[in-house]
Amino acid sequence: MRLKFTALALAYAALVGLCIATLAASGDLSLGRQPWANLMKSVGEFAYPSFLDVWFGPERLEYRSDDGTVLRVENRREVEANYLWALARATWTTLQIATLGSLLAAVLALPLGLLTARNLHAPSWLAAPARGLLNALRAVHTLVFGLVLVGIVGLGPTAGILAIALHSMGTCGKLYAEAVETLDMAAVDAVRATGAGPGQVFFNAVWPAVLPQFVSQHLYVWEYNMRDSTILGLIGAGGLGLLISEATSLFQWDRLATVLLVVIVMVAGFDAISSRIRRALL
Amino acid sequence: MAVQAADLTVVAGGRELLALPALRIAAGERVAIIGHNGAGKSTLLRCLAGFMRPSRGQLTVLGQALHQPLSGTELRGLRRDVGQVLQGLHLVGRLNALDNALIGRLGRLQGAAAMRSWLRWFSDADTADAEAALARVGLAGRGAERVDRLSGGERQRVAMARLLLQRPRLILADEPSASLDPTGAQDLCNGLSRTALELGATLISVVHQAELLPLLADRVLGLRQGRLVFDLPTVQVDAPTLASLYASQP
Repeated sequence: MRLKFTALALAYAALVGLCIATLAASGDLSLGRQPWANLMKSVGEFAYPSFLDVWFGPERLEYRSDDGTVLRVENRREVEANYLWALARATWTTLQIATLGSLLAAVLALPLGLLTARNLHAPSWLAAPARGLLNALRAVHTLVFGLVLVGIVGLGPTAGILAIALHSMGTCGKLYAEAVETLDMAAVDAVRATGAGPGQVFFNAVWPAVLPQFVSQHLYVWEYNMRDSTILGLIGAGGLGLLISEATSLFQWDRLATVLLVVIVMVAGFDAISSRIRRALL
Repeated sequence: MAVQAADLTVVAGGRELLALPALRIAAGERVAIIGHNGAGKSTLLRCLAGFMRPSRGQLTVLGQALHQPLSGTELRGLRRDVGQVLQGLHLVGRLNALDNALIGRLGRLQGAAAMRSWLRWFSDADTADAEAALARVGLAGRGAERVDRLSGGERQRVAMARLLLQRPRLILADEPSASLDPTGAQDLCNGLSRTALELGATLISVVHQAELLPLLADRVLGLRQGRLVFDLPTVQVDAPTLASLYASQP
């Protein structure tokens, strides 16, 4: 046993060593020319998020050419206030994508989850394909679905909603099936023993027992999708991701700081609300 | 006649679990089955409930021949008329007492009423029945409480109310009081007996504690290794009879 573990640890160490050695050999293991200075500059800009300019920015910022000619005059307060509006709209889009995508996933996953729950004994010709579909959906990342869907339905939130829905369907279906599998089957059998039909048994014994868990899992997936949908903008599905991609490609770290603050507040706020609801439900 | 059996034999895994040459239980009778573990008590009860088909012989329960395969509709019809009380009672924890009582009514609903019951939408008459049943078991006005927040004793009463709503002609109780303290066990047995009497139903129970026999039965069947050892009125089941039944445990 100990020998096997040592062998495994050695194999792992060898793999790590090989990764480092090959990267170093090809010269890719470098931190750039001025890592320290760049880091300081980025941290400095991060420490002053752009939204502060709405109150503290110069009202008349002049951009001049090398010979001193004024090229453009900008009111920083106005510019950043406008940016905040755009940010609010993007946040709303992200919220729309996460909410509708999660709802669609929850609804579509329901029949699949029930079919794959082993204790409900669905016929295997239905259960096996349902399980396969859920596994496949879970295996493909939201971003990949997004890239494919942007090609099909075009740029915009619809692609984001569908991408979220497809990937989350796999997750929701598996969580649903697990919730059903932990059910007290004796109570279900007791209802069946009164002569109730299959539909009556399902809605009077199975459904009331699993509904709170389904809702709790839906909230969890929804919260997860809030994070996921911020990234979807990177591939053109709209929302906060678009602003993140814009800020990073223009090296506007102060604006990125503002966007990330919004993401953090949004996700943390949603987490606080959803965990409170989940506690009340169970 | 509630139960009629001739040459009733159940074989499973090459072992004879039950072999009764004849058994007749009249409608409205209260019968207890006793015996050590593996004596065939639960097997008999499972056969009577239609959960297990006899390997040989004839068995008729409430006029339904159970030695032949039953269709789904016939089986549901039988279950409607057979009320089962099991260890642990098995209520739906997240539903309230009223909804749990109304579960007893599910099998009796037809057509649109059966569809509405999917949404737990019951007629005023059924709801009134359930409220009356809860009141009869001493839970008047407690219908809105979730059963997983009720005490053990209160949960038993909800199970009785469910039985009242089901209006079975035959009640099968498999060690219903196994997990209860002595007072709880007595309350449950009294409740079962009263419910059977109110419904005019036959009551067949599997019991382990001899002191509960007078509460539940007028007649006692003693089983050992799947065979009937005695069939006596409860008053004649004395300590030596019980000792001889349990003494020869294999």
